[in-house]
Amino acid sequence: MPAQTRRQFLQRLALRSETLSGASDSTLVCVFLRGGADTLNMFIPYADDTYYKIRPTISIPHPKSGKGSDSSVKLDDFYSLHPKMSAILPVYKEGRLAVVQAVGTDNPTGSHFETQDQMDHGDAFKKTAGGGWLARYLRARFGNNLTPLSAVSIGPILPESLRGAPGASAISSIDEIRIKAPCENPAVVAKVLTDLYNADVGLLSAPGLDTLHLLKRVESLRAIEYKPSQGASYPDSGFARGLREIARLIKADVGLEVACIDLDGWDTHFIQGSVSGLQAGLIETLSDSLAAFDTDLSSRRKQVTTLVITEFGRRSYENGSLGTDHGRGFAAMILGDGVRGGQILGHYPGLNEAKWVLGPAGLEVMFDYRSVLSEVLTKRMALQNSQDVFPGFQPQKIGIVRA
Amino acid sequence: MTSKITRRNFLAIGGLIGCALPFGGCSNLNGVIADRLGAGIPKKVSVTDGAEIDPVFNLLSRAGFGPWPGDVERVREQGVKAWIEEQLEPDKIDDKICDFRTRRFESIFLDPGTCYEFKREALRKDLCRYHLLRSVYSKRQLLESMVEFFSDHFNIYIEKGDCIYLKATDDRSVIRKNALGRFRDLVIGSATSPAMLVYLDGKENRKEGPHGIPNENYARELLELHTLGVDGGYSQKDVYEAARCLTGWRLHSGSNRGTAYFDAALHDDGEKVVLGKKIPSGAGKKDVEMLVDITCNHPSTAKHIAKKLVAHFVSEEPPAGLTKRVAKRFSESGGQIKPMLREILNSFEFNASAGTKLKRPFQYVVSCLRATGADTMAGDPVLEFLTRMGHGPFQYPTPDGYPTEANPWLGTLLWRWNFAFALCSNEVDSANVTLDSLCSAIGLESLHGTQNAPDILFAYFAGRRPSQDESKTFRQYAAHRDLNDEKVRAELIGLILSSPAFQKV
Repeated sequence: MPAQTRRQFLQRLALRSETLSGASDSTLVCVFLRGGADTLNMFIPYADDTYYKIRPTISIPHPKSGKGSDSSVKLDDFYSLHPKMSAILPVYKEGRLAVVQAVGTDNPTGSHFETQDQMDHGDAFKKTAGGGWLARYLRARFGNNLTPLSAVSIGPILPESLRGAPGASAISSIDEIRIKAPCENPAVVAKVLTDLYNADVGLLSAPGLDTLHLLKRVESLRAIEYKPSQGASYPDSGFARGLREIARLIKADVGLEVACIDLDGWDTHFIQGSVSGLQAGLIETLSDSLAAFDTDLSSRRKQVTTLVITEFGRRSYENGSLGTDHGRGFAAMILGDGVRGGQILGHYPGLNEAKWVLGPAGLEVMFDYRSVLSEVLTKRMALQNSQDVFPGFQPQKIGIVRA
Repeated sequence: MTSKITRRNFLAIGGLIGCALPFGGCSNLNGVIADRLGAGIPKKVSVTDGAEIDPVFNLLSRAGFGPWPGDVERVREQGVKAWIEEQLEPDKIDDKICDFRTRRFESIFLDPGTCYEFKREALRKDLCRYHLLRSVYSKRQLLESMVEFFSDHFNIYIEKGDCIYLKATDDRSVIRKNALGRFRDLVIGSATSPAMLVYLDGKENRKEGPHGIPNENYARELLELHTLGVDGGYSQKDVYEAARCLTGWRLHSGSNRGTAYFDAALHDDGEKVVLGKKIPSGAGKKDVEMLVDITCNHPSTAKHIAKKLVAHFVSEEPPAGLTKRVAKRFSESGGQIKPMLREILNSFEFNASAGTKLKRPFQYVVSCLRATGADTMAGDPVLEFLTRMGHGPFQYPTPDGYPTEANPWLGTLLWRWNFAFALCSNEVDSANVTLDSLCSAIGLESLHGTQNAPDILFAYFAGRRPSQDESKTFRQYAAHRDLNDEKVRAELIGLILSSPAFQKV
């Protein structure tokens, strides 16, 4: 990170308009499906007979199976959608959801911890770039001055992807973003601080006033009950509530650039279920929440990109306990305006597992996960040079974002 | 001036422990002891109220972590030059009170092998708490400031690999041991420090052959960050040659687990040329010393270190004249650190720039604890504030260390304010302040009827009287409020600690 000179700093202050000085016009929401999601049962390769052969119990019925609402929903001549994902179908059809097939890491261990760790850090197997990939992005991106809410994760602790980010906050709701004044009247304290920071002739005036401005906005948000836009209806789950808080922050224009949220429970070794059951419940939560989020943010779609990834997909075969074991490639989802939505991008590698030698088998990895992250950061966010976040990595061109 | 622990005071400690232990851990035992030993809040503290920041206040704020109540007058009495000289000989400064607070963190004093018997979480806490408490309570303030400086300069991220088991040894035998010594000793110590061998992959660095290939990671940072600096005039070939010099260092497993040794079989013993200087073949483990001497004697290193030191103590845009003088001290003394510090701390530039440099979150938190005379054992709630501000000790992932410049830290104000308010209202578990003692020490037994009470309090914390604007703001706040009310007083002092003046040194 090049040192910023005082002159550059003053120039930027001069260029600053009414917006917060660190405010960015783009926001990335990262959803991590912890546990290794079986995306083969979300975006179903129904035209591949092998799929039904090797998943006799847990496969999702063919769109033309005649099983009514249990049939998967046809997307194109090859793929269909899990019926519990119908909420996201309009988003897909309207071209705001792109899916990239067979994304993954070079990590052969099959370990949740190691693979998640590698992905959170944006590393190659056994190669450490240092810190989290989102933290590197925040430090590398143009401008580089941040607000207290530039990076937020929903939950009790910061994810490793934000390791090393200056001032990233782990919160469960915007209620935590406030001045905790000893006399319980934050307005009094804010008034004093406004006067003090207003009078500062040095470098602190702008960030101080920005912070106070931001608190004011959050305060006014808190005062009124949040009503999602366009009648968006979030399901009743912790994950949906988290997305709702993120939507609230985005609409409050507090300078949110990166938000992280997890959905756990995808490690479906045992009785995974099919159209209903363990995984179907998660799929429904994910899809309903994302659809509500998309509706709620309908006025902000240009600005917001949502990325959904997991540490690995699962084996193509169902195992003896009607579940699936750890696999490799998975389908990544990218939501937002400007993506090449309404299609499944990338090549379908087939379900033949024989050629895998190192580590667990499963869908062959066609795209390194960093190619996805890199394209999102350079095309939808403010990253100028992918090397600043993924040093030494040459991203493959996927074409997630419309040229 | 340092207070020696007398025999009588020692007996007092014994007596206190004797009476406290049966109650199962009296939380402010340390505070009680510190009071007995004259290291608490003195009965009387004078306040400097010139329009500009008092030079003694500036010295204590920049050469250390800010004045403890009573420090300013002690140093004034002693004389600035004498204080600097005293600080440059830290071993002669009695630091038993701080030692007493920090000796419970046993993993700090153990060798790596024994550290492996601890859980990572326990080691992480010991390291962070030890580091924070020494910064708050040590009378060797300049040493602590240099420890912070070199912990960034030779940054090690303890979450990588086994670094967490090895950092305590690095802190003890490399950083603290040499922080006021010779720069080359720091570099040599660091080059073969087990934690550094893990952090920058030195232990994987071996001669080209069936057992591996050179790993340039450390060699590159040695030239780019630790010595010459990125524009210091080295080539990619120099990086490669330096990496060859450093092949063969490994870490023991088994009984000496985590200690470094030199494996000649993995060392490239051929001739190397680094920065135009020849390192003859057959020198084996001596290569490191020759390499480090070549890099440390290079004129770019003197400039680079001078510039970074001036940035640390004076301004993120180091004044060229001072930097040049400091670099000269480096060159003429063979890289001794003390002459450089003497040059900086006695310089015109050091005082002329008072109050313009943003405290990083760590310095901010420590200076709040010191200024209020807080009694803390640096438990989780204190450390959480640091983490929230992105400045947990030894938590910086990349080898460049936490940034010195203000810009990356400008988003942390909200959490600074909340720390100040929480501390002043005793809401930070594991840190206690007694603001009434502090107020009476600075002559405000009662804040009633003292119209200029806010001005006096401000002057105590800022080292200067408030400007007209500042004074007006605080007086407006204080008008119609009962300043003797505990909460109001906490809020007023919290506001002073939150003001721009207290964010800067």
